[in-house]
Amino acid sequence: MSLLELNKVKKIYQQGKIKVPALRGVNLEVEEGEFTTIFGPSGSGKTTLLNMIGCLDTPTEGEIRLNDKKVSDLSRKALAMIRRFNIGFVFQSYNLIPVLTAYENVEFAIRLIDHSSESQMKEKVLKILAEVGLKGLESRRPNELSGGEKQRVAIARALVKEPKLILADEPTANLDSENAAGVVDIMRKMNKELNTTFIFSTHDPMVMKYAKRCINLKDGMISADERRE
Amino acid sequence: MFSFKLGLKNLTRQKRRNILIILVIAFAFSSYLLMDSLMNGMEEMSFDNIKNYDTGNIQVAYPEYWEDREELLLENLIYLNPDMEESIKNVDGLLGMSPELRFKANLNNGIDEVAVRGVGISIEQYNQVFATQNYVVEGSMFAPGESKAVIGVSLAELMDLKVNDYITLLVRTKDDTFNTIDVEIAGLVRAPNPMINNGIVFVPLDVARQALNVGNAVSMITLKTVSGDEDKVTKELTDSFKNINLDLKAYSWKESASSVIALSAAKKGGIGAILSVVLLIGMLGIINNVILSALERTEEIGMMKALGMREWEIVFVFMVEATGIGILGGLAGCLLGYAGVSALVKYGYSIAYIGGDGSAYGIPILDRIYGTWNYPAFSFLFILGIIIAILSSILPSYWAAHKDPVKAIYHR
Repeated sequence: MSLLELNKVKKIYQQGKIKVPALRGVNLEVEEGEFTTIFGPSGSGKTTLLNMIGCLDTPTEGEIRLNDKKVSDLSRKALAMIRRFNIGFVFQSYNLIPVLTAYENVEFAIRLIDHSSESQMKEKVLKILAEVGLKGLESRRPNELSGGEKQRVAIARALVKEPKLILADEPTANLDSENAAGVVDIMRKMNKELNTTFIFSTHDPMVMKYAKRCINLKDGMISADERRE
Repeated sequence: MFSFKLGLKNLTRQKRRNILIILVIAFAFSSYLLMDSLMNGMEEMSFDNIKNYDTGNIQVAYPEYWEDREELLLENLIYLNPDMEESIKNVDGLLGMSPELRFKANLNNGIDEVAVRGVGISIEQYNQVFATQNYVVEGSMFAPGESKAVIGVSLAELMDLKVNDYITLLVRTKDDTFNTIDVEIAGLVRAPNPMINNGIVFVPLDVARQALNVGNAVSMITLKTVSGDEDKVTKELTDSFKNINLDLKAYSWKESASSVIALSAAKKGGIGAILSVVLLIGMLGIINNVILSALERTEEIGMMKALGMREWEIVFVFMVEATGIGILGGLAGCLLGYAGVSALVKYGYSIAYIGGDGSAYGIPILDRIYGTWNYPAFSFLFILGIIIAILSSILPSYWAAHKDPVKAIYHR
C-alpha cells in the first residue's frame, strides 16, 4: 500500500486578475521508506508540491491521499492534526526558535504529541540529538550553532515524533558542501534505521546522487521519475 | 505547558522594546496612583479643614438664615433658651457646641479699610469645637472676659497689623445703624484652612452681641460630634427641635462643603478619565508589541503551524508574552507608585508650585497637599492591568495565529 498518492493534483494561484498555474495535474505514488528527491528549475512547482504533500496547502483540483486517507479536502484544523502526528518538516532556513536551546527546540515538537513522563521525554530527545551528531551541544541556542548544526537540530525536531513522512525543502541550500554531505548522511541513516519516508526538494547534485528515486518537475508537471537501486 | 514556557522565554526577546513598553505602562500606572493619592489627600484634608476650622460637624440654624447664610444678615437669628440647649446636649456623641454670631464688618487699621467676616465666639466653647487655637503663631487666643480679637496672618499682613495693635470693626446693627467695635489684637492665626487666615476677625460673643444690638441671639450653633454619625445626628436633632415646636434645623458639614464635594465628584470623573488614558496606553503598548512580534516571527509562526500547532495554542504563546509584559509593567508601576505615594504622604505637594494658596482654587488647604494611601487602588490597577493585557493581546495574537502557513513559512 502506498504511503502517499496524488491524483491529477492541480494548483492555480490567483495573482490579481491573472491565474498562475503552479501544478498542472501531478500524479504520484510514494511507498513507505522511500528516499525521494524532487528537482527541477526555479518556478517548476517543487515547493508547491511539497506544501500539498505536507498538508500545508490544499489543491485547486485533484486528490491527495496519505495513509489511504483523503486529505485534500480537510479543514484547516484537521490538516493541522494530520501534520502534528504524521509529518515532519525540515526547512531551508532551519526555522528554529532562537530563545530555545537545541534540546528545547526538539522537545517543543515532541511535547505537542507525546505526554510521557519528563524522564522518558528527556531520554527520547537526547537520543535523537545524539543520533544526528549533536551530543554535547544540547544546551546551545541556535545563535551558538553552525549552519550544519542548526539543520541537524531541525532534522532532529522533525524526527523526534517519529513521523511516517519527512518533507525537506532544499535542506542543504544554506550549507557548505561538507555540512550538506553530513546532513544528507543523517537523513539516509534515519531512512534506513527508522524506515522513515523522506521527500526533499533540491538543486544540489550531491544530494540527488544519494536519492533512491529522483522526480524531475518541469512547468508544474512530472517530466521524469527515475528509481535507483 | 511548553507553550507557557515558550511565551515566558519570548519575553527575553526584543529586550529593549519590551523594557520600553514596560516603562511606559509603569509610568502610566504610577502617574495614576500618584494622582489618586493626591486627589484623595486633597479631599480628606479639605473635609478636615472645613470641619475643624469652619463648620464643625453639624450646624444648627433656622432654614431661612441657612439659605442666605453667605449674606451674614442679622435676621432669623437664634435666641438661645434652655430647652433648645437641652435638646442639643442630649445628642449622642456630642463633643462640643459653639454658638456663633456671624456679621459683615469693615476692618479699619486707621489708614485702610477692608471688608471682613466678623465672628462672635464664646472662646471656651469655640475651643471645644474648633482647632484654631493650635495654630496661633503670635500672641494667643483671647481669654474669657477679654475684649480682644484674633485675626489671620494673611489679613494682618494685608492690613499691616501686629499683636497688640488696635483695630476698628465698622458694623451695622440689627436696627441698621452704624456702630464700631474697637479691640486690641490678641493673636494671629495661621490655620490650615486659608479661608480663616484671609478674611475673618474673631471677637468675643458678648462684644459682638452688644455692638450689633441682637440681645442673646446667635447666627448658628456649631457642634462637634463623632465623625461619621453626622447624618443620623442631624435627623435626630431636627426631630427633637420639632418636638419642642422649634423650626430649627441641623445641617451636616457636607451641606456647607457642597462646592468642595462637587470638586471631589469632578475629581472622581477626572480620575476615571486618567484611568481610561492609562489603560489605553497599556492596551496600545501591548497590541503594538504583539503585532510587531508577530511580524518579526512570521516564519516561526509558519514553523509552528507546520508542526501542527492549533491556532489557540499559538494564540496562547503570544498571550503569555503579552500578559508577562502587563504583569511586569504593572509591578514596576506599583513599585514606582509606592515610592511616589510614600514621598507624597511624607513630604506632600506644595500648592505654591502652582501659585497662591488653595483658596485661589476653591480648595480649603493652605500650602501643602499630603497624599493618602489607597491600597485597593494598587491591587485594582495591577489586576486590571493584567486583564487589559490579556484582552488586548487576544485579537492581534489571533491575527498572528490565523496566518496562512505557507505564506508564513516563506514570509510572503
